[in-house]
Amino acid sequence: MICKLHKLAQRLKSSLWMLVVPPTVWALHFLFSYVYTAVRCAKSGSVEAIVDIRTGITVATVVALLLVAASGYVAWTQSRIDGDLRPYQDSTDEDRLHFLAAATLLLAGLSFVAILFTAIPAFIFEDCI
Amino acid sequence: MTDHNPDQFSVFKPISRSLLRLIFGPVLALLYGCTGIQSTFSAFGVEAESTRSLTWVMTAAATVITIGVLWLAWYAARTPASQLDYKGGMRVIFWFGALGPTLLLSVLLVFSLSKMRTLPTGTDDLKIAVTGEQFWWRARYLPVGGQSVETANEIRIPVGRTVAFALTSPDVIHSFWIPGLAGKVDMIPGRTNDLVVRATQAGVYRGVCAEFCGLSHAHMAFDVVAMEPAAFEQWLTNMAHPATGGDSPGRKLFESYGCSGCHTIRGHIEGATIGPDLTHFGSRLSVGAGTLPMTLDAISRFIRNPASVKPGVMMPDFREISDKDVAVISNYLVELR
Amino acid sequence: MSVAANSQPDQDDPAVRAAQEERLRAVWSPPSGLFLRWTDTNNNVVGIWYTLTAFGMMLFAGVLALIMRTQLAVPENDLVSASTFNQLFTLHGSMMMFLFAVPMFEAVSVLILPQLLGARDLPFPRLSAFGYWSFLIGGVFVAGSIFFDAAPDGGWFMYPPLSTNSSTAGIGADIWMLGLSFIEVSSIAAAVELIVGVLKCRPPGMRLNLMPLYAWYILVVAVMILFAFPPLIAGDLLFEMERLLDWPFFDAKRGGDPLLWQHLFWIFGHPEVYIIFLPSIGIFAMVIPTFSQRHLLGYPWIVLAAVGTGFLSFGLWVHHMFATGMPNISLGFFSAASEAVAIPTAVQIFVFIATIWAGRVIWSTPMLYGAGSLAIFVIGGLTGVMVAVAPFDWQAHDTYFVVAHLHYVLIGGTLMPLFAGLYYYWPLVTAKKLSDRLGRIAFWMMFVGVNLGFFPMHISGLMGMPRRVYTYSEALGVGTLNLLSTLGAYLFAIGVAVVVVDLCLSPQRQHVPRNPWNAGTLEWLEFAQQENWGVRSVPLIESRYPLWDQPDFVRHVDEGRYFLPDAEEGYRELMITSVLDARPLQVARITGPSVIPMIAAITLGGVFIFTTFHLYWEALASGLTALAVILCWLWTGTGIIPEKAEKHAGLGIMLPLYASGPTSPGWWAMFITMTGDATAFAALIFGYFFFWTVHTDFPPDPLPGLTGPGWYWPMLALALILAGWVLTIAARETNARGKVWFARVALAVAAAANGAGGLAGLAGPWNSGLDPTRHVYPAIVWIMAIWIATHAMLGVIMQLFVLARSLAGRMTPVYDGDVRNITLYEHFLALSALITFLVIGFFPRLA
Repeated sequence: MICKLHKLAQRLKSSLWMLVVPPTVWALHFLFSYVYTAVRCAKSGSVEAIVDIRTGITVATVVALLLVAASGYVAWTQSRIDGDLRPYQDSTDEDRLHFLAAATLLLAGLSFVAILFTAIPAFIFEDCI
Repeated sequence: MTDHNPDQFSVFKPISRSLLRLIFGPVLALLYGCTGIQSTFSAFGVEAESTRSLTWVMTAAATVITIGVLWLAWYAARTPASQLDYKGGMRVIFWFGALGPTLLLSVLLVFSLSKMRTLPTGTDDLKIAVTGEQFWWRARYLPVGGQSVETANEIRIPVGRTVAFALTSPDVIHSFWIPGLAGKVDMIPGRTNDLVVRATQAGVYRGVCAEFCGLSHAHMAFDVVAMEPAAFEQWLTNMAHPATGGDSPGRKLFESYGCSGCHTIRGHIEGATIGPDLTHFGSRLSVGAGTLPMTLDAISRFIRNPASVKPGVMMPDFREISDKDVAVISNYLVELR
Repeated sequence: MSVAANSQPDQDDPAVRAAQEERLRAVWSPPSGLFLRWTDTNNNVVGIWYTLTAFGMMLFAGVLALIMRTQLAVPENDLVSASTFNQLFTLHGSMMMFLFAVPMFEAVSVLILPQLLGARDLPFPRLSAFGYWSFLIGGVFVAGSIFFDAAPDGGWFMYPPLSTNSSTAGIGADIWMLGLSFIEVSSIAAAVELIVGVLKCRPPGMRLNLMPLYAWYILVVAVMILFAFPPLIAGDLLFEMERLLDWPFFDAKRGGDPLLWQHLFWIFGHPEVYIIFLPSIGIFAMVIPTFSQRHLLGYPWIVLAAVGTGFLSFGLWVHHMFATGMPNISLGFFSAASEAVAIPTAVQIFVFIATIWAGRVIWSTPMLYGAGSLAIFVIGGLTGVMVAVAPFDWQAHDTYFVVAHLHYVLIGGTLMPLFAGLYYYWPLVTAKKLSDRLGRIAFWMMFVGVNLGFFPMHISGLMGMPRRVYTYSEALGVGTLNLLSTLGAYLFAIGVAVVVVDLCLSPQRQHVPRNPWNAGTLEWLEFAQQENWGVRSVPLIESRYPLWDQPDFVRHVDEGRYFLPDAEEGYRELMITSVLDARPLQVARITGPSVIPMIAAITLGGVFIFTTFHLYWEALASGLTALAVILCWLWTGTGIIPEKAEKHAGLGIMLPLYASGPTSPGWWAMFITMTGDATAFAALIFGYFFFWTVHTDFPPDPLPGLTGPGWYWPMLALALILAGWVLTIAARETNARGKVWFARVALAVAAAANGAGGLAGLAGPWNSGLDPTRHVYPAIVWIMAIWIATHAMLGVIMQLFVLARSLAGRMTPVYDGDVRNITLYEHFLALSALITFLVIGFFPRLA
């Protein structure tokens, strides 16, 4: 099973679209957190809302982190496909792939941290004031 | 110093130390003198005090980081080529560029978010509704069980008690800011924003409009007086009373010049409430929303040509008014206590 | 691509080369003559106009700042009146942002991007020229208003109600909105140009991992423009509807909300800061390797930083609104993102430090500016982290602390790197170096001036001095600090004046050899005083620093041993390559000098300028002329059918001369433009749901004038527009299969369906009698219906245009780029119609 997934991850070719997956996940998570909180706070009582907000943001955060981790994993497997070593600066298919994989992996790291940052406020505040 | 070898690393330290002293000496000296009536450094409220200590912590950290980064850049520029290989370079970027900032910022985020919580309020706390209007402040005190009191351009609060402000505006966006007491909160047409404060020290301070609101944005301030609770209660009781004093010639002139078309003096003249309530005008610390001192000359000047003091003010000018009349009206106003 | 059968020209033969050069020179020769020279579209020329104009705007805005600093030198000064002061700071901020920083990035990119990519020009040269003329017209209109005492005076953020009320804001507000909207449109044009340039016009072999870092930054920034500017354009639209027609979008008394403007403005406004900061860092990323004489360490890290910053910068906007009374938990999200964005910024700084650490630093003048801006920017960045902390911001917001912070960031992060770039790239453009001595004198004046001018503002802000005050009381105790700030500002200004003197002395100086800094990147292939053609042949790239790493590279380029060494058919030609790996796909022919871009800019500018003065008939006439000019432009200048299917591109490969669909630059331009358009549409939808969120009764009770459009007309409109969409797709498919007449009929019917759909969309609110001046609900429903109707009408024009092209034989089953491009447009139209009509038709039943 894991082996199969690993193979699948290796087959997915890194591209510009793959590169923007982790930050896009961050953006969607951020947008969800903001919009959901704004609507819940505006449409229901300040204290009832916070329970929903915490649940919603916890679920969204777990999903977002899993997606980012998955794209980071795909990038990591691709950066280990045979080819030249760093710093990926030749005009070859491998180097281009390795470079995109490396950049995607770094972006996944940044997005992971940024998603965690976004989730923190939901657990510090206890109301909508 | 003439013969020092620039490549010799040990020379750098004493130079840098004296340099630091040279740069930061005057800065620190300035900061010691930063207290003022409208300064975040002369804090007299719970929030402002907490933010002041946050400011010092962050300033110290920022100073250390600035010096560290610039020193590292300087050191890197002086290092001969190939002292740092590819792996070493990646390590510099990862530790200093990525991981270090991430850890520092995580700590700062958790620490700072926890400082954002609003003070708890109870039902028997004093409420004050303040509206910002071009270019003055209408304040309505709503004491629990007491009668509501309207005044203008001056905020008085009791020390040690929680006070909740309800802030809004009928015209354009203003921002209510008493630097020594708490952070600013915008006053937005159609919305009411809350600000909960607690003063810790008695004294006379100043607040100001912080959101650009038109021609006289620069002249939209107010006096803030933090009083001991007993004195405050007495003041509020006095404010609730109508104006005293009987028939004065000033009162008639006030009416005949049409001033009551905008101003009310409770007990004397039930005028309109377009402009500031002047019931206890003479007890205030300044004229024209913190713009001029409370003197007869200043009042006369304001009446004659308010736009010369506050451009764009709504009050019309009375340039034709005689010296005698304006003196009489000023006298009348200053005696409203 | 296929391999050519016959042999290639003999590049060893000097006579062959001379003949090729002669042909290239003829094809790329610039227009001359007193008037005709202004019809040039070549990136070298337009780039220089653009850069000089933007530089001039900076000097003008700088003078405004000096007047302000003089006024504030002492307490209770009366050099200028409150009204003048308000105009000064509004125009200073607006000009520095909209007329200097953004256009300057576009200008520098137009000037050097083709060189960085070894390309002969940008893919749409006339679009660059159009962008320049729009910028010039809009810029002069906005900046000139101050001479008539009619400049905008509501702050560069133009908050309503202060700026929407006719009693508190005069015509200046309209000049700001309409003049700058026009410039925003030209910025989107630049974004289209630059994205397509970076993705499709790279030289063969320059895969994504070899792209110059400046190009990475440009790509990120251009994409950011697509998502940042449209919300502001949508906001401008709502704003002007309120000012001109009294539709109450921001009027709280009639259900509007001033905060909606703040959201739309800052969704633009914060990314904007990064839009002007990242390209300057991109200049750094070119300068630092040259003067460290080594490759940049950590290339993927820079890409991480650029892309990461680009994304995160869209999650910061509310930190300009921390004091507006939003729930603390919401502020927390934005505080978190504002902290997170510091991480990629730190990464960039340490990439540069690691590179100079590993290399041997040459202390040239550009490097000196680089070091100085690092020092300034670090301070600005750290105070940025401080203001991202909400409790601190509640104190610092709208005080001089923020003025200090933003000037440290923008001078350290944008202006000083631009000066570094000026000293670095001047030889590329003029073949002359600027004076090192004057450059260093200017640097030290500016460096000391910035710190003397802006450091004290941190303290005066925390001592209670608010921003945007034309005077201040002595009682605040900030007199000395302000005097220091004024002295610093003058010192800085003198430094800038020294640079200007240096520039003026430049024509008298000696020529320097090609590549005077011994740089490794492609742009230094260029001779200044060079031929207009850019590169002699489009090179094959195998390294990030080909001039350093590829042996005999320059000689091979100069001897025409790479691609497109000739212009045998007499056309200006570019290589189009694939996005990821820069494989050659097509030889694209681009158009040369033309007066059309200038006329299009003048007539389109007329629409905005006439509207400012309520001259609606004149505006309509100007708009129709603009439409005619643009159609003429498209008819004569795009999708030209080549005389043969493919040609030798050099190195033995044959490439097609025509492409349609996703391989062609035109398709990408449409896709990118429509992405921006969809973002503006999303901002309107955001507005609808924003009002629903802030009101307990939205939509309001169905009183007369407030009754929604129901579902019948919206659904009819939707059905018609979807029919137009399906028929356009059918036209594309049948045309490709050779059934040309079927395609023509489908296009005609599609145009009728789209037009009827647009009208049916308007019939909904019209028939239910929605009165847009009464309440914000009718206003927002109307604006959405109008948005779709306008887009449907544009769709009709496109469909009829393509029909005409087909009838005129300018579009055939093979050369079918036109119908493919408008089909893409129709996809976006169908999607936005679907959303609009579902929302206005059915959401009132759910809410």
